Amino acid sequence: MILLGKIALGLTAVTFTGAGLLCSEGFVNVNVNEHGRTDKQREHIHVIAPALLVPIAVRLVPDDKLANAADKIQPWLPTIRAAIEGLGDSPDMTIVEVSNAREYVQVAKDGGSIVVDVANPRETVHASVPLRAIDSTVSALAAAETNSSPGASAQAQLDN
Amino acid sequence: MKIRTIWGITALIGALFLAARPAPAAPPEDRFIHVQVSGGNSKDGDVNVNLPLSVAEKVLPTIDRGPLHNGRVTVDSNQFQGIDIPTIVEAIRTSPDSQLVSVKQKGENIAVTKSKGNIIVHVTDSSSKGQTVDVTVPISVVNALFSDAQKNELDVAAALKALDDAGDTFLVTVQNAKQQVRVWVDTHNQPQ
Repeated sequence: MILLGKIALGLTAVTFTGAGLLCSEGFVNVNVNEHGRTDKQREHIHVIAPALLVPIAVRLVPDDKLANAADKIQPWLPTIRAAIEGLGDSPDMTIVEVSNAREYVQVAKDGGSIVVDVANPRETVHASVPLRAIDSTVSALAAAETNSSPGASAQAQLDN
Repeated sequence: MKIRTIWGITALIGALFLAARPAPAAPPEDRFIHVQVSGGNSKDGDVNVNLPLSVAEKVLPTIDRGPLHNGRVTVDSNQFQGIDIPTIVEAIRTSPDSQLVSVKQKGENIAVTKSKGNIIVHVTDSSSKGQTVDVTVPISVVNALFSDAQKNELDVAAALKALDDAGDTFLVTVQNAKQQVRVWVDTHNQPQ
């Protein structure tokens, strides 16, 4: 009985630790509402996922599939990192707001997240991504580039 | 009783230590650069951009594209045509407030004035567009921008830093019958 109690306690501890780790980077929240004329045309997508999963998912994608994106993002890595660091230290604010008769777009910093809202006659989109998740994802992309680039493998051979 | 006395002394020392600590310095106030395009027709719409100057200061030196590198813009040596811009800026800085340039031609008036540490450019167009342009730049910003002009470089990062130190200021206002464009710096994170 005592053994069962210890196992239950261990499982509970592992569950809580795992849940805590999974939630440590916050949540990615994507909410899309399509405004169709009929009920069938109206689609609603709502995804809330732990932000920690995004960089992990990027790491699971084969490097050759990421090479193109990684190549494009590589020159901008220092800029993206500097922007994330700077925004992390900044207060909550609307960064960009564009509105006209048909569409409204807002990019804001809210808490530790970048929040994008788009509203137009076709759909309403709300996306919220934690800055830390963007940083981790960019780092994962950079790692993919390092692993897949021929220059990096040649350098690794030279190092060996 | 002894334990109580020890706890009391410890609490007293702790309180004295906390009281003796200097008050934490207030963090420097964030400044924001705002760009606002408003009053456009419904198709073009309104645009608001608000960015902390500290973010711009951090991001700019990381961009290495075209003529922009390390927070500086390399300009063609012919652009300055041998003009010693830093000396001119210094001469303006030390001169009394006055109108520096005034041009009137074909319905367009251009006036460049030095006033209260700023260089103010005022352009009025009395043609059908009826556009008015006001540019106000603190001399310290101009000075920082052209500090490396002899190396054919404009130091944009230094200009941003000087702008951060310069205080609240309206930089650019463009007004015509249809639209108004404003660029300014203040301590508010939203347009006021």
